[in-house]
Amino acid sequence: MLKSIAKKLLELVLFFLILSFVSFCLLKLVPGDPVRSILRVDDVAVSNQQIADMRSQLGLDQSLPVQYGKWLVQLLQFDFGQSYLTQRPVFAEFMEKLPYTLLLTGGSLFIMLVIALPMGTMAALYRNRWIDNASRMFALIGSSIPSFWLGLLFIEWFAVKLRILPSMGEGTIFHLVLPSLTLGLAMAAVYVRMIRASLIESSGQDFIKAAQARGISPARIFFRHMFRHSLVPLITVFSESIGSLLGGTVVIEVLFAYPGLGKWIVDAIAARDYPIIQGYTLFMAVFIVCINMTVELSYRWINPEMALKEKRPS
Amino acid sequence: MFKRPYLKLFIPAVMAVMVAACSSSPSGSLTSSDANAPQDKSVTLLFNVQSSSIDPHTDVNYTAVRAGVGETLVKVNKDLKLEAWLAEKWNSKDGQHWTFNIRPGVKFHSGKPVDAAAVKASMERAQKLNPSVKNALHIRDIQANGQILKVTTDRPFPEFASELVHPNTAVIDTSSTDALPSGTGPFKAASFRVGSELNLERNDQYWNGEVKLKQARFLFNEDANARQLAFQAKDADIVYRPPIESLDLLKADSTVKVDSLPSLRTHQLIYNMNNNDLKKTAVRKAFDHLINRDEIANGIMSGQGTPAQGPFLSGFPFSPAYAMKKFDLSAARDSFKQAGYSVQDSKVKTPDGQALHLTLLTYQSRAELPLISQLIQANAKELGITIDIRQVDNIDEYLAAHQDWDLATYSSITAPRGDASYFLNAAYMPEGALNYGHVHLPKLEAVITKLNRAVNEEQRNKLALEAVSMIDQETLQSFLVHPNNVVAYRNYVHNWVTSQSEYYLLTQDLDVD
Repeated sequence: MLKSIAKKLLELVLFFLILSFVSFCLLKLVPGDPVRSILRVDDVAVSNQQIADMRSQLGLDQSLPVQYGKWLVQLLQFDFGQSYLTQRPVFAEFMEKLPYTLLLTGGSLFIMLVIALPMGTMAALYRNRWIDNASRMFALIGSSIPSFWLGLLFIEWFAVKLRILPSMGEGTIFHLVLPSLTLGLAMAAVYVRMIRASLIESSGQDFIKAAQARGISPARIFFRHMFRHSLVPLITVFSESIGSLLGGTVVIEVLFAYPGLGKWIVDAIAARDYPIIQGYTLFMAVFIVCINMTVELSYRWINPEMALKEKRPS
Repeated sequence: MFKRPYLKLFIPAVMAVMVAACSSSPSGSLTSSDANAPQDKSVTLLFNVQSSSIDPHTDVNYTAVRAGVGETLVKVNKDLKLEAWLAEKWNSKDGQHWTFNIRPGVKFHSGKPVDAAAVKASMERAQKLNPSVKNALHIRDIQANGQILKVTTDRPFPEFASELVHPNTAVIDTSSTDALPSGTGPFKAASFRVGSELNLERNDQYWNGEVKLKQARFLFNEDANARQLAFQAKDADIVYRPPIESLDLLKADSTVKVDSLPSLRTHQLIYNMNNNDLKKTAVRKAFDHLINRDEIANGIMSGQGTPAQGPFLSGFPFSPAYAMKKFDLSAARDSFKQAGYSVQDSKVKTPDGQALHLTLLTYQSRAELPLISQLIQANAKELGITIDIRQVDNIDEYLAAHQDWDLATYSSITAPRGDASYFLNAAYMPEGALNYGHVHLPKLEAVITKLNRAVNEEQRNKLALEAVSMIDQETLQSFLVHPNNVVAYRNYVHNWVTSQSEYYLLTQDLDVD
């Protein structure tokens, strides 16, 4: 057991090392550096010599392995560096934005589940009936509408016309409603069809037919067998959605002036703020790894057959 | 697919709801009943750039000064001239040794009095945290004695006082342990939500007298349509840069006032002097004639721009009386002929018989620039000149690192602190960071060098005027348009001043009734 954990940890460390090196190299391949942004050449008279001096001061004129080595040494001391532009520790800035992003991610997933689960289930149970057609239409419209436009529509409806929700900002649960609704609805459009397809696929399985033959109640068959079986592919996609929500909501963050990680990283990329980009990549990798491990564990709970298969000698 | 009648109604119903939501309804428009002033003497301003910090020394969006929390030693007034602020007066005989008399009786929000030592500590912090400030100020030494602050720059630097207008030099109490900056302005920072909002309270001890508002909020939103909707939803009383397409709706509303003033920003066309054709003054002049500035200002920018004749707004003392530049194809042809180019059947060919084929760089972050590029391309086509437009992500990086371009649209604030020397040094001196076109004109460099040494303001303005006239005569760059600063605010907001510098937004005089 200990050996297996140690092996897993070693694999993870190796993975993070490779990831950080590749992302570091990719960053350096992109033309430009942060010096012009740091010196504000668009606002302050700066000479090319001062630009060169600053580049040298930041060590950006050193070779790639040396720059990476220095960053790695810092990292081993749990120092993620400072933002070139704000001069604040990367970790502090990340932790400042993370709660907002987690809240938005949670809110969006909640809205998605509230819409997609019942609608997808009903569509599967009443195949080719009106609810199925309606869900198909919802999926079509939901996945076609650009999220920024949907967000503007919601602001128009709920903030300008009905005046029941704030149009932007954060601070209360009400501020979370419109951005979550915008993201959640767009995701629900995709999940409705996936849930439907997955449930239909499960309903054709032999063990469902066997359960029906044994006279088990339809409700029990649905919840204990059909639904549970259909969860496996859904959870895989669900984990990917969490990953993309953790940093990919920049459009919604800008629209609702929501201070999440998406806008933070996009601004950092535009300004070539390397410490932030490197730190973010690493933090996100840790998050994604944790999510994937949780998902793997959940498979065993949802479908005990998997755990049994692993134990059996092949 | 749709077997039931109600399903056939589904799509039209959804479409109808969406169209209804997009159209402006009576409840969505700004009616007079909406225009009730807040009862608590507060104002909410919605700005177009997000701030992730309000530390005045590092925040690139200058929120602390804009929101009236921080103040600098010197400010630019509405006539774009330097004015005493926290410094009562200042002088320097040689442009290198400066004496500032710090205004007595000023207190930080923390209660600590502002003396020269406090200003020194603040300046040192700004230089330490912000390399841009360090480079801009060129400070060698600071001495503090009572209310007298003596600064020595590392070389004669006559524009030093002007550089102290920079909001990143705002004076704050460096000994304060509060997480929010303790400045001297009319408003104290009460709370700050990163990238979302800054809440402010009146500074009852403000040194310059009564502050009319009790509270204020400074919100950020970078999406123009969302700002407009927030204004309609009454989440803001003043909105910065609403979308241009909404201006007619705003102007038609009697409860809203709209200010539209030319800003200190100038959109430009840079010529790459390494191109053999563009090296010739007459060719550059020909391209200048191909620019339809009125169409840019009134068509592309829907009237929210002012045609630019030179790098600086006409109100500056160093802005010459220009002959109005007009779009003129025949003048363009004449200029090409003057440069030795053949003009046959209205088509221009180089002296060696080649058709002109140029590459024009542009970028998306200023949405009008790609459209301006297309206009120039279309006008050039009239003379048989082919212009390929290429869009790049980061124009500064690209221009600095590449030479595979001939023309480039660019935009910068040319006199952010009321002095011409920043732009002249950055854009026309060989070492200047904005000299992307590789301009090398010794007689211009000599004038700028003289300007860099001149201390007397009148002499400085004269030299700057000489330099700007030279740039105009040689058409070293073409200046296209000054985009306007557009601000909409409710009519119960009083004493709002749309500042051209954009440095001072929430002021002690701002009021509601």
